[in-house]
Amino acid sequence: MAILTINNLTYQYPSSPQPALKDISLTLESGEFLAVIGANGAGKSSLCYTAAGFIPHFFRGELNGQVLIDGVDSSQSNLNELVLHAGLVFQNPFNQISGSKFTVYEEIAFGLENLGIAREEMKARIDEALALTNIADLGKRSPYALSGGQQQRVALASILVMQPKLLVLDEPTSQLDPIGTQEVFQVIRAMTKRGMTILMAEHKIEQVAEFADRVIALDAGEILLEGTPGEVLTSPLLPERGVGISRYTQVARRAQAMGLWSKQTHLPATLAQAVRGFGGADAAQEVNDAA
Amino acid sequence: MRNRLSFYIPRQSLIHDLNPLTKLALVFTFIIVAFSSSWYWLPTILFFFGLVPLSFIGKVGKAFLRTTFRLLLPLFIFLFVMQSLFYPGGVTPLLSLWIFSVKLEGVQFAYLTGTRILVMVSSFLVLLLTTHPSTLMSDLTRRGLPGALAYIITSTLQIIPQMQGKANTIIDAQRSRGLDTEGNLFKRAGALLPLVGPLVFGSLVDVEERAIAIEARAFNAPCKKTSLIEISDTGFETALRWFFLLLMLAAIGSRIWLS
Repeated sequence: MAILTINNLTYQYPSSPQPALKDISLTLESGEFLAVIGANGAGKSSLCYTAAGFIPHFFRGELNGQVLIDGVDSSQSNLNELVLHAGLVFQNPFNQISGSKFTVYEEIAFGLENLGIAREEMKARIDEALALTNIADLGKRSPYALSGGQQQRVALASILVMQPKLLVLDEPTSQLDPIGTQEVFQVIRAMTKRGMTILMAEHKIEQVAEFADRVIALDAGEILLEGTPGEVLTSPLLPERGVGISRYTQVARRAQAMGLWSKQTHLPATLAQAVRGFGGADAAQEVNDAA
Repeated sequence: MRNRLSFYIPRQSLIHDLNPLTKLALVFTFIIVAFSSSWYWLPTILFFFGLVPLSFIGKVGKAFLRTTFRLLLPLFIFLFVMQSLFYPGGVTPLLSLWIFSVKLEGVQFAYLTGTRILVMVSSFLVLLLTTHPSTLMSDLTRRGLPGALAYIITSTLQIIPQMQGKANTIIDAQRSRGLDTEGNLFKRAGALLPLVGPLVFGSLVDVEERAIAIEARAFNAPCKKTSLIEISDTGFETALRWFFLLLMLAAIGSRIWLS
């Protein structure tokens, strides 16, 4: 069943001379993990806002085409309805803290209070979200007295507690340090195991290669490439359009130029693929086990 | 940097357990009685025999006295100096020095005004020291205060320290590029100007993101909001609030018709 369907979407911000998204069509099936990559300004955030209903309901402007979020036509609906179907987490962890709550536990309750959920159910759901994001020990802390990685997990928990069908992540780790990034990706890994449908814009290609079922590369608001991580992430088109490539692809490409990587072997995007390609089948198994 | 601007001290006490609205009603009763009574000593009595004991029952007596003193001392000094010297109805000089003379009526007026302000400020302190801001706000929201208004109040409490932190970062950044922030008063005031732009525009960007974040959590959902915190309220307290309301009306009535 399709959780997100976008048909021929073109969107232009009110103050912008050209469209941010041009003729985008995509479908996201239930349980699928779709990653969106692209250079800055390629339209990643705009696509995320559209998938969560903030375009056209928060950012006005001109939208053509059709967006179905969990079966609801986004232009026919409103934001209060759409946030029940799609949850949005974005870059800045600090600005996602509501600011009106004094503890993490209350912070996560904020969305449920707004929805008028009964207290008993609220507590059960919050405990589940705390466990899922691995922050059960932070419940009594102030949401402002946390590290970036912890804050971002609070933001994730605050969205997950509302139980959306689609989780939209707009570069959730771009402002975090390596440890914070790791913490957040652990949660995302747990979410994929639970069969959550996820749309994630991300710069960190190594992570995309590991998690995504499917990857879309955007360039100037248009879909440049679409396919499996192995196909898209190793494409020579990416560096030409200013998109970063995985360090494993980079190494293998150099090795290929020096004759150390056979022309027949597909270029790797993940560590395990690279190790296997360099001839270490056993080592590749170890890498996989470690992950 | 302190994390939030809240007076609240968590303790187990009778006053802490009262419903926030009951405490709010008590605060307004104190204020209205203190301001409407024509009896000179009443505000003093209310403070020493009402508010001070209440603060000790609430186990926040020390903090209460210290904060009251710190908040009001500068105001009292100013009030006494100005009123004792320049009160227009002053006729009885107590002591004179050159062209200045301290008048009895001025001192009396300053004392009455001062004790009234004392009751007003310190009764709010009793409320704020014993009530968590989010408890107060969720109780008022439950009783019909618009959610957006409650949000503005509680988020301001938290955002001010964050803004201070941000201002300090900007100042440090500009000092590291050679902006002179030391020296006399004018120089230092001038150094604040380059702070305003980044702080204001940066905050506007933050506001948009925060708006997205709270919209994503159904802030404007049309249904009736619920509250995570359970706030106790008893029939006795409802009766108590009616009693406070009557006291307030009586105090205002006596002011209008009896004087």
